[in-house]
Amino acid sequence: MISVRNVYKKFGSLEVLHSVSCEIEKGEIVVIIGPSGSGKSTLLRCLNLLEEPTWGEIWFDDKLITPVDPYLHPDLIERTETFRSLLAAEGVDNPTARARVIAKIRQEDLLKKHEGADFKAQSQKLFRDNFLPTNQVRQRMGMVFQHFNLFNNLTILQNITLAPIQLKLKTKEEAIDTAEKYLSRVGLLDKKDVYPSTLSGGQKQRIAIVRALAMEPEVMLFDEPTSALDPEMVGEVLDVMKELARDKMTMVIVTHEMGFAREVGSRVLFMDGGRITEENTPQEFFSHPKNPRTIEFLSKVL
Amino acid sequence: MTGFFSNVVEIFTTGKYMEIIWAGLKMTLIISIGAALLGLLLGTVVAIVKLSSKKNKWLAIPRVICNIYITVVRGTPMALQLFIMAFVIITVRGFPQEIVAILAFGINSGAYVAESIRGGILSVDIGQTEAGRSLGLPAHVTMLRIVIPQAIKNVIPALGNEVIALIKETSIVSMIGMQDLTAAAKLIGSGQNLATYFAPMMVVALFYLAIVYALSFGIKCIERRLRASDKR
Repeated sequence: MISVRNVYKKFGSLEVLHSVSCEIEKGEIVVIIGPSGSGKSTLLRCLNLLEEPTWGEIWFDDKLITPVDPYLHPDLIERTETFRSLLAAEGVDNPTARARVIAKIRQEDLLKKHEGADFKAQSQKLFRDNFLPTNQVRQRMGMVFQHFNLFNNLTILQNITLAPIQLKLKTKEEAIDTAEKYLSRVGLLDKKDVYPSTLSGGQKQRIAIVRALAMEPEVMLFDEPTSALDPEMVGEVLDVMKELARDKMTMVIVTHEMGFAREVGSRVLFMDGGRITEENTPQEFFSHPKNPRTIEFLSKVL
Repeated sequence: MTGFFSNVVEIFTTGKYMEIIWAGLKMTLIISIGAALLGLLLGTVVAIVKLSSKKNKWLAIPRVICNIYITVVRGTPMALQLFIMAFVIITVRGFPQEIVAILAFGINSGAYVAESIRGGILSVDIGQTEAGRSLGLPAHVTMLRIVIPQAIKNVIPALGNEVIALIKETSIVSMIGMQDLTAAAKLIGSGQNLATYFAPMMVVALFYLAIVYALSFGIKCIERRLRASDKR
């Protein structure tokens, strides 16, 4: 469903993501863990383009979502003679090698020298057909933030219905119906007319989840949803997330809750220094970690 | 002292003096309101241009112009700006003086308002914008529905300050020969009228005080209404 290919992210000279690739399938619950500064949150934020990758591609439902020069669309590059000869020079043919060749072609602008004139027109058409605009990506991917980020100037109900109504996805009545349905599911229907400042952290986060769900997203992204909460409020938020997991929602979760990762996750990614260094099922990951850095990390947090 | 009180009574009871004061008050209010509106408009536009994304190439030149505008206006005296407007830029004979003053004060005020508004928008947590964008809302909708309503709350006290300062600053229009409230006091106190400045100055001071007091009260009411969504 989401395919991350060879993504780099630099902030100035600081490289936060280094050649990250991963696949997220429909219905999966992918948990990303790792030490702070390892690039977990940045990777998550790249998925809905709150951060724009410096290099590399992200695909969502077989559409490209990372903004690239239309002329440098990877599918098109792969059809060129230049690509074939460079790939042959690599000696191997796997996704990493292909991504490396594409990166090289883009960086060194090799195609302009080698390919014909109608290439550009062709590539622009391909780009138009295969590119998913950022706002559409975000409508289909819900995001939950560490600090909730409820809109302080709007009531709870307005917080939840603003986007569906503004984007004309629902009429006002439908939006309110959906909001009330989800609010009662998380047990906060009585709070619909209050402002966020009167709620506790746990309540705010449950509302933030409802706000994302009200867009009927295909994927939910969670960026350390329980890290800013009092310990006794963590449970109520995790319960809502577990319920989502039971409903087979596709989720990508950055978290420090190891117990939750083991119980709910279908796959664990361990990140360190901007790379995915280990990837496994939760059972295998927590009982037989392979990478020495993973072993060290787990010994500290478990 | 009895002289002072009888002078005050004389000012309030003599039709000629009251006419001078009303005319001056009207002039002060026209200039203040006109300049405040112009300043708000200019300030908002300049703030938005200055906050626009650095990636937006169309606004690169407007951004430079806005920076120069703020630097020049804040770096030179108001009286000088007024003189330049009246004697250098608008030299057409018979051009309404009110408009000259409104332009000079409005342009001056805009520079300060721009910085207040920019500060107000920057004071809204970036998380609010991110949350809006993460729902797929376009940038302008996020700005209009989420960021600006919260920014206004933070900006109102600073804007109130600016308008109060502006009203009092307009007293220098007498330097280009306009008859505002301050000039009215001078006229009433002059030799052919009362021949004493004390009472007229005090009366006019009272008028300024009343305007500013009413304005601060209004601002307080607006603030209270806007803070409905806060616990504070």
